[in-house]
Formats: sequence, C-alpha cells, structure tokens
Amino acid sequence: MHAVNPIVRPVSGVSADTGQRFIQEALESVHAGFPSPAQGYYNGPVDLNRHLIRDPTSTFIVRVSGDSMTGAGIFDGDEVIVDRSLEARDGSVVIAVVDNELTIKRLRLDGDTVRLVPENPAYPDIVLHELSELSVWGVVTRCLHRV
Amino acid sequence: MSSHTVSSHTGSSRTGSQPPSIAIVDANNFYVSCERIFDPRLEGKPVVVLSNNDGCVIARSQEAKTLGIDMAASWQSIAAEAAAKGVIARSSNYELYGDISARCVELLGRFTSSQEVYSIDESFIRLTGSAEQVSGIAREIRVATKKMIGLPVSIGIASSKTLAKLANRGSKSSAALQGVCNLGSYAPAQVTAILASVDASDVWGIGSRTAQKLAGMGIHTAADLRDTDAVQLRRRFGVNQERVVQELRGVDCLPLEEERSDREQIQFSRSFAVPISTVAELEEVLSVYTQRAAARLREQGSLARMMGCTASTSPFRDNHVSHAVSLAFPDPTDDPVQMYRAAITALGPQLQAGQQYVRVGVSLYEFSSRDSHASLDIFGTAPAPFAAGAVLDSIAAKYGQENLGLGRAGLKTNRAWTMRREMVSPRATTHWDELITVAAK
Repeated sequence: MHAVNPIVRPVSGVSADTGQRFIQEALESVHAGFPSPAQGYYNGPVDLNRHLIRDPTSTFIVRVSGDSMTGAGIFDGDEVIVDRSLEARDGSVVIAVVDNELTIKRLRLDGDTVRLVPENPAYPDIVLHELSELSVWGVVTRCLHRV
Repeated sequence: MSSHTVSSHTGSSRTGSQPPSIAIVDANNFYVSCERIFDPRLEGKPVVVLSNNDGCVIARSQEAKTLGIDMAASWQSIAAEAAAKGVIARSSNYELYGDISARCVELLGRFTSSQEVYSIDESFIRLTGSAEQVSGIAREIRVATKKMIGLPVSIGIASSKTLAKLANRGSKSSAALQGVCNLGSYAPAQVTAILASVDASDVWGIGSRTAQKLAGMGIHTAADLRDTDAVQLRRRFGVNQERVVQELRGVDCLPLEEERSDREQIQFSRSFAVPISTVAELEEVLSVYTQRAAARLREQGSLARMMGCTASTSPFRDNHVSHAVSLAFPDPTDDPVQMYRAAITALGPQLQAGQQYVRVGVSLYEFSSRDSHASLDIFGTAPAPFAAGAVLDSIAAKYGQENLGLGRAGLKTNRAWTMRREMVSPRATTHWDELITVAAK
C-alpha cells in the first residue's frame, strides 16, 4: 500500500455548470488499495490489429465477390487485408485494376510477360504484354474466411 | 516501408546556413480523389462531389473544371446539363474523407517533426536541408501518398507559410514541376518574376476588400505587396497585413500550429469546406467533436480537468470573429455528456448567428489517470462520471456512430451537415458492412 502526497494546484476558468468564472483548488490523485499481483505482467489481450496489420495507414480491407480464387483459399464473401505499401512480386496475390474494375488475382511475372492468374481452372488468365499496363492497387496479405 | 518511416533530413533545428523550409502538402481535388481511390471507373472522368443534401458542388475533378462546372453551383439547376456532359456526381462521404485525411496526416508525420494540420486536405510541415534535399523529400512524399493511400498531392515549399501557399499554386499550374514547387530553388530575380505574376488578391491572407484598397494604392501583384513599406501598411490595415508583407519577403511570421494528440493534450479541430452559419449546426459540430475527443481520452485511460473550445470565421475575411473559452470541470472527467453541456454553456452565448464559421475546435488538457481517480470513488468525492461515455462507445461500436449521440448530433434525421446523400459511395474504411467489393471472376 502506498499513498501519494496530495498536490494543491489552482485551476481557474468558467464553471461547466453555471458558466460563472471561478478559481478552484484541485487535489491530485491519491493511490490506495492492494496492487494486482498481475501488474507488470499483463499487457492486454491479443490484438488482431497488431498481428494482422503491419501498417494501418496503408492497409485496407476489401470484400471478395466470386469464386475465381478458391484455389488460393479465397472464397466468395471473404474479406482480404490489403497492404498498399508492399511491392507486388511474382506470386503475390494482388488487387489489380482491370478494365476500370478492382479484381483479385495472382500476379505472375515471367520475362516481359505479366499475367494475372485466377486460382480456378474455370477462369482464363489475363495476359499483359508490358509491365506498364499493370496497375496494382495493393498486395493481399491475409484472407479472413469464415469456417 | 522502411524508407518512408524515417527521413534522415528532418528535424527542427535552426542552426547552420540552411534555414528550415515550410512545405504545404495539399491533396489535389481531395474529395474527388478520395472517391477515386475505391472506384477506378472515376479515373479520367469529370467528377463532382456535392454538399450535404446534395445541394451544391463542393469539389470538382480537373476534367469537371475543364468542362466549366462551377464551384458552389446548385446541383439541382445543373444536374441535367452535367449529366449530358458525362459528369458523375457523388454525395459527400465525410467519414471516408476523414479517414483518408487521417491516414495522410499520419504519413506526412513520418517525414517531419513539425506539422500543422491546416484543414482536411492540407498540412504545413517543416523540412530541413538544402533546397535540393527538401525538393527530394517532397517528391518522396508525393510517391508515398499516391502509393500507400492512393492520394495525389501537390507541394509548395518556401521559407514562410504565405510563400509556400503561393508556391503550391505554382505546383499545380505547370505540369513540368510534377507537383512540387520549391521557391528556395529559384534565384531571387526568378522569385520576383513569379511574385509579379500573382495577383495581390490571390495572396494567402489578403481578402477581396483589402485587395481593392491595395489596388487603389497601386499595389496589384504579390511582388508589389512584398515591396510595400510594411510599417505604413500596418498603420492602414493592421498587423496581419504587415505580417503578409514580411512573409512575402520570406520572413517566417506565422508559426506552425501543431495539432497535438499526445498524452498531455487532445485536440479536435478542423476547417470546414463550406462555412456553417447557424448556431444549431455549430452546436452539432461541437457535440461531435466533444464526443470524439472524449472517446480518445477514454482510449488512453485519462480524465481531463480542463477543456478549451474555439470557433472562428475565416481570418482573411473582413469582420473576422474568433471565440475561445476555457473551462475547468469540477472533477476530472471523460464524460462526453458533461463536456458537451460545458462546451455549449461556455461557447454558446458567444456564437453569432449569421457568421460564416470555418473552423471549430475542442481541446482537452490537464490530464490525470482514470485508474488513480477510480480509487477516489471509495471516498465519495467524485461522481460516477464514466458510465455514459463507455455506453456511448459500446453502442457506437455495435450500431455505428450515427445511431446514438448527444444533443443535436444524436438526431439521426435532419442532421444539417450529413443528411441527404443519394449518390453516396460506401464508407469503405470505417464500416464493416460497407467494405468495397473486388471481383474474383
């Protein structure tokens, strides 16, 4: 048990209740009671934001519509975490802009050819002939799938 | 991205031969750019964003400007014509814009140790180094905001805020500059030529009536104004106009007003795109701001003893009014109900109906830890002040921020600054049920 000496500090201003000006003396806090034995060990519960999101400023969450990525474990209605600060590489799952639409695909870089590949044999690859045609919106880092 | 996390050129020291530069980072057509982040179909198209109630045009893409769509045009009167020209309209989506703005502010903070959030789409930041180094940082910032957030920005750099604003105009006027204009990299004669090309009325801080009077004195351009006798100008117009002259000479007279949200102070202060003029609207804004500030306070587990409230019209207009009150709570609190009532009680009587307020702020300070005060309850010296705030937080988390609020902000219908939004985009970054959809097909 420990106690802190109260500190007297004048505070002046306008009363919140009456609108009148006043000068008030306020007491600093007084610590009392038994400290928790867990103090110093407990840093709060596991925070998914911390573990799933590397940089909140560049991270967005988007929802997937369609079944062209089921081979990558990404299903219709799943949410995916997208980090725009990451560089897209060969093999990255990306959100790309194709025909003015945001679409999710696996990026394949092979020499000069750029392919946006679905992970479902029912869908065709999109082949770009120059890297400059590729517009990556962000790189997918996680999929949130309800089981 | 590590290269964006720390910039080795930043710092606030004023030593050495290189004075710090002030940069204004300004998002291009901010509301439209926010809409475009999540809807690539809007890229390259004429796009406008409408004010609350879909009343009038408050933001235009470059393409819409080129088509001659006027700022502040009534949407009702131009909708048919605009649609025929292929203009796409969006209702304002302030939650989205606010979130993108916050991301941008955070990102800019990585490049500087000194930052003033001037409005939702503009920040002043201090950069140090040679002109070349500073321009390099500015180019890095442009790349980073575009890549990491999707937001295009323009940057003006100079040795004073007023000159930085002027440089920022330049950065947009010439494509060759690629969005960065650093007056520090020009020779004095070139700077004079630039200032001579800018009307005095376009100088930051010069109102239209002042500009008329200046014209009567033969002062037509920014260069004329810079070369005016500052003392004489102060006698006639006051100290603010004298400062403009000093600022145009490169003397930094307007310090950065840094927004602080650290352990010692929480500040919630924003400029509005469209001025608000009724007391009811102002009360509503105050209500939202006190609730946001109180929520931040609770997040960090603090209680505040003091609160400050401000409201001001544009400092560049004639009859500028500005109100500031500070007040102390009987006991330290994190209760938004008490804060809102206190704000209205203190600030309310000062507000003048009909004034065009452009900035309102709430700040909390004199903090203590909530835990240390909880123990005071034992002795019955403090009321139970935490309940309302915690309940509001949990309801807001569950049902959305606009389903419960205090005072005027609690009225879901009839909210003057958020109501009719018929063409509103999803609140893609703040609402789980409004995430944007990407196609897997």
